[in-house]
Amino acid sequence: MNDIGFGLTMTVVGMGSVFGVLMVVWGVLILISRIDRPETSESTAQTLDETQLAAATNQLAPEEIAAIAVAVSLYAASLRREAAPTMRSYWPGSLLFASRWVAAGRTRQNQSWQRRR
Amino acid sequence: MESPEEQLETLRRLRERALQGGGPERIAQQHARGKLTARERLALLLDPGSFQEIGALATSPIADEDQRVPGDGTVTGFGKINGRRVAVYAQDFTVMGGSFSAVQANKICRMQDLAIESGIPIIGLNDSGGARIQEGVRSLAAYGEVFVRNVLASGVVPQISAILGPCAGGAVYSPALTDFIIMSESTGYMFLTGPDVIKAVSGRDLSVQELGGAAVHCTRSGVAHLSAPDDRAVIELIKRLLSYLPQNNSEDPPQIMPYDRADRVETALNTLVPADERQGYDAHTLINLIFDYDSFLEIQPLFAQNAVVGFARLDGYAVGVVANQPAIMAGALDIDASDKIARFVRICDAFNIPLITFVDTPGFLPGIEQEYGGVIRHGAKIIYAYSEATVPKISVVVRKAIGGAYVAMSSKQLRCDLNFAWPSAQIAVMGAEGAVRILRREELRTAADPARLMEEFVAEYRRRYFNPYHAADLGQIDEVIEPAETRPRLIRALEILRTKVQQNPPRKHGLYPS
Repeated sequence: MNDIGFGLTMTVVGMGSVFGVLMVVWGVLILISRIDRPETSESTAQTLDETQLAAATNQLAPEEIAAIAVAVSLYAASLRREAAPTMRSYWPGSLLFASRWVAAGRTRQNQSWQRRR
Repeated sequence: MESPEEQLETLRRLRERALQGGGPERIAQQHARGKLTARERLALLLDPGSFQEIGALATSPIADEDQRVPGDGTVTGFGKINGRRVAVYAQDFTVMGGSFSAVQANKICRMQDLAIESGIPIIGLNDSGGARIQEGVRSLAAYGEVFVRNVLASGVVPQISAILGPCAGGAVYSPALTDFIIMSESTGYMFLTGPDVIKAVSGRDLSVQELGGAAVHCTRSGVAHLSAPDDRAVIELIKRLLSYLPQNNSEDPPQIMPYDRADRVETALNTLVPADERQGYDAHTLINLIFDYDSFLEIQPLFAQNAVVGFARLDGYAVGVVANQPAIMAGALDIDASDKIARFVRICDAFNIPLITFVDTPGFLPGIEQEYGGVIRHGAKIIYAYSEATVPKISVVVRKAIGGAYVAMSSKQLRCDLNFAWPSAQIAVMGAEGAVRILRREELRTAADPARLMEEFVAEYRRRYFNPYHAADLGQIDEVIEPAETRPRLIRALEILRTKVQQNPPRKHGLYPS
């Protein structure tokens, strides 16, 4: 009976110690995060005023910005349609890698002209 | 003896003269006609700074001294289109009307020979008044030199011809021997005999555009494959067309980075085919929903519209698409549609482009005109082309696949690799009514109420044969798929078949039905 009592005591003390340490670590972490939090300035929270907006958009009217956006997307679509290099994942007739045209052609070149026996 | 400085000065003067073409006055006239000069066209076609001219200083020894212009009315050379090497020639209408001479032919032939040896596409910008009469038979022989190289290059490297001005008489055969003809709707025309001869022979007074304009060749004759409003648009179209073609018959077409989800399931396809089989639907809707967004480039869109052919992309890979068009003539195959499909299949096969076929046709178009016109030999072209093709072939039976047309349209027996069918597929020897009239003739003749009995028999025939499952039982259809999952199924199938290699028996050449 004494052994059971000792065992229960040790369990309570052990688990209590572990959870106690965990709570201390938790508290330390919260404390660090509060100390380390970046200061929020009012200027960033505010929306840009008209002057700042104009400066950011290089004095362009919203319609002009919209037109540029459309032009850029159309240009990208055009490049894609033409399979331009920027859009390509396979380079046809590449000179960097062994071209199949060259490989097949040179194999034919090297075939013996003598009749096989 | 000239000093090195003087030698360089002479060269620079000649080069400058070549750049001027026919001179400022002729260039202004060319612009007034709404056309660009040969060099302006090449500048638009090729990547900046990539053009390397060949034969810029060649002149005609037969022409008078004052009429000799370096280049002799054509600009030839090599360049790059979106980084891809191409051989180009552009006829210069400002120099003696771009008339075709022996020197022009020498330049073009030299460029063709180098292109065939190097395995790079050939692009010709045609704008010529015809053979140079002063050169007599020399200019005719010159045509022959170009024609034979067109034939030798056929199926080896892609050949694209743009008709940006006149192209008359014997000159028409060089573009006709190439793979694709793209015409300018405003300034391009091509014919064998001009309006004057036509008027003398038949009394009909036609303009050059009425006789051989883009509208004629893209809709009625089928000579041209594509058209665009002006020079610039034609050049853009050349670039787009080239993007689906490889450099030569040993290479694959360029693959672009996939931008449309491979596993995209289109539920709209489940309801695309109307329940009423007499109602059509637009094959373009089907194609646009299945293939990569905005990737379909239709070839011959205005000719034989009962068939749709063109290039598209599946997960970034170029494929050839063939489809019956149920919205026009119920998708029946006639002479023109047969020619259109057969030629397109052969182009795809020549240039290693996999073929995807969507079948919805009630059969070959019946009629005296068709029979007299040789629909048998024209229809045979489809069978020949599909049978001969060794590229990956996949077919999807969307709805009707009846009779001989079922066999012709990429059936299992024509070495199609994978045959899919939608649940709406109807694969049978003939239409329900016709079949019942033959099979139940006696019963119908003796019936008290033949109409009611006919309805019953038709319903039974449909239930038993007008579905894809009977064909799937026999292995004619590999899988019946849900329409919505067509795109992912095709992409996965192509992934497997991409490395397919198949050989035909060795022979000099087959005898294509013509």
